[in-house]
Amino acid sequence: MLQVNFVRKFYENLVPTCTLYDIDCPDISFRKFTEDGKYLISFSRNHPELIVCRPSWLSFSCKCKDSDYCALPPKAQRFDSFFTQLYTISLGATNELICKDFFLYLESQEFGLFATSTAHTHDAPISHGAVSGVPSIERITFYLVRLEDGIVLDEKVFCNDFINLAHSMGVFLYDDLLCILSLRYQAIHILQVLDSGHLVDVPEGSSFLSGIKQRLLSYIFRKHWNEEADPTLVQFLDRHHLLIKFGSVDGGVSRSTDQHPSFFAVYNMETTEIITFYQNSAEELYYLFEQFYDHFHVSSRTSLHAKFTSSHSNNIHVLDQLWLSKNKASSFSQLISAADRHRHSTEHPIKFISRRQPNILKFKIKLGPEEGSSDAHAKRISSFLFHPYLPLAMSIQQTFMQPTVVNIHFRR
Amino acid sequence: MGSLMGDWPSYDPQNFSQLRPSDRSAKPSKLTPTTYHPTHNRTLPPPNQVITTEARNILLRQIYQKAEEKLRPKRAATDNLAPEHGSKQSRGAIDSDP
Repeated sequence: MLQVNFVRKFYENLVPTCTLYDIDCPDISFRKFTEDGKYLISFSRNHPELIVCRPSWLSFSCKCKDSDYCALPPKAQRFDSFFTQLYTISLGATNELICKDFFLYLESQEFGLFATSTAHTHDAPISHGAVSGVPSIERITFYLVRLEDGIVLDEKVFCNDFINLAHSMGVFLYDDLLCILSLRYQAIHILQVLDSGHLVDVPEGSSFLSGIKQRLLSYIFRKHWNEEADPTLVQFLDRHHLLIKFGSVDGGVSRSTDQHPSFFAVYNMETTEIITFYQNSAEELYYLFEQFYDHFHVSSRTSLHAKFTSSHSNNIHVLDQLWLSKNKASSFSQLISAADRHRHSTEHPIKFISRRQPNILKFKIKLGPEEGSSDAHAKRISSFLFHPYLPLAMSIQQTFMQPTVVNIHFRR
Repeated sequence: MGSLMGDWPSYDPQNFSQLRPSDRSAKPSKLTPTTYHPTHNRTLPPPNQVITTEARNILLRQIYQKAEEKLRPKRAATDNLAPEHGSKQSRGAIDSDP
């Protein structure tokens, strides 16, 4: 434990020092580094293909006496000096698109879960058990891929259903269990990922939510709530307990949950009991989130580095930041929404400051060299990908009607 | 005891008897560690005690505890006459002080 903290302090000083602008790289959509830093997940822009790269590092030799002042070789400007493309695989049939912001990673087995779907149909025919008002997707396929070599190990198909794939919201991974919320049929499916790579149904766990809804409505709550409430988000709290968010199902589809009132319930799958519920702005729920954040976000219990990831429940510096955010957020949902949104580019460099030592600037990322005045007004969206532990980051700038620019920020 | 173990006491004089201090001028009597023996057995664990990790994680324990607290006032008024039980359960024999 002491050693881990010592290593972390060391890494606080191992920051990017150098930027390579507009590198020569394939025109693919980079999405995410895996949490263990072993893979970079990306997708082809025009074809339903997954491209997985392994981060490596620039290596070169020079004749200078002092390597810090040595000019970088021309090959430094190339993507493949920093990454090795491992493979490209096709996912989905011709009428299916890969959902580019759906990705779940099982770290201990190095499996990735991806999803493809056909187009949404908004005027879906009424079918037995389906809730009206929820769009239907003809076919959603989940693929379990072994990232080491790109072999597709298993698939799971859902037909004429609606699962919220954006930002992996409709699917929650807890250790080796997947919890999939079907908004259209109001059902929770539990799947287990075996080490062999098979996706198996856990029928004891899956249940139709109409039963849960009835129990919930008869549990005290009917006195306080008059509106229709459907499950919109589900996650595991442990292997037997689910945290279910109820609200308007339109909110679940469009993610605009803040306009609709909602509440949370804790459900025990084994005893089929509702343990408790909280309204969206409940102080008690906020207190639990603040104190026990790590238990809301367990991805893999076997992952070594996950045990030491800083969160506001185990790091006082992060807690300070949470308190600042709490004052700005008007609801619990707003507070916990993902921070990995695209940001509008500014002309100013982005400063990175250590949480532990807030007065010390660690490094800056400057996005793009100064452009001419006409370009300064072009709308530019930037996104960032940070390697989990190497001093390596990518910034991807997309400007309207111009080619995408990729920069690499690294430590020489 | 020499430099290796400092002056820490032990409960068994035979422990550490194989160790040789790095300081050769140390007196032979120092090779036997100071020993302490308990004068009572009040703090001994019960012979069949097994220590395990709580199966339910701390977040869920909090949730269950709060849920029970909310339900408690709703129980029949007659319950108020009975002494309140804490939410924690005793795990083994606790010897009371004499």
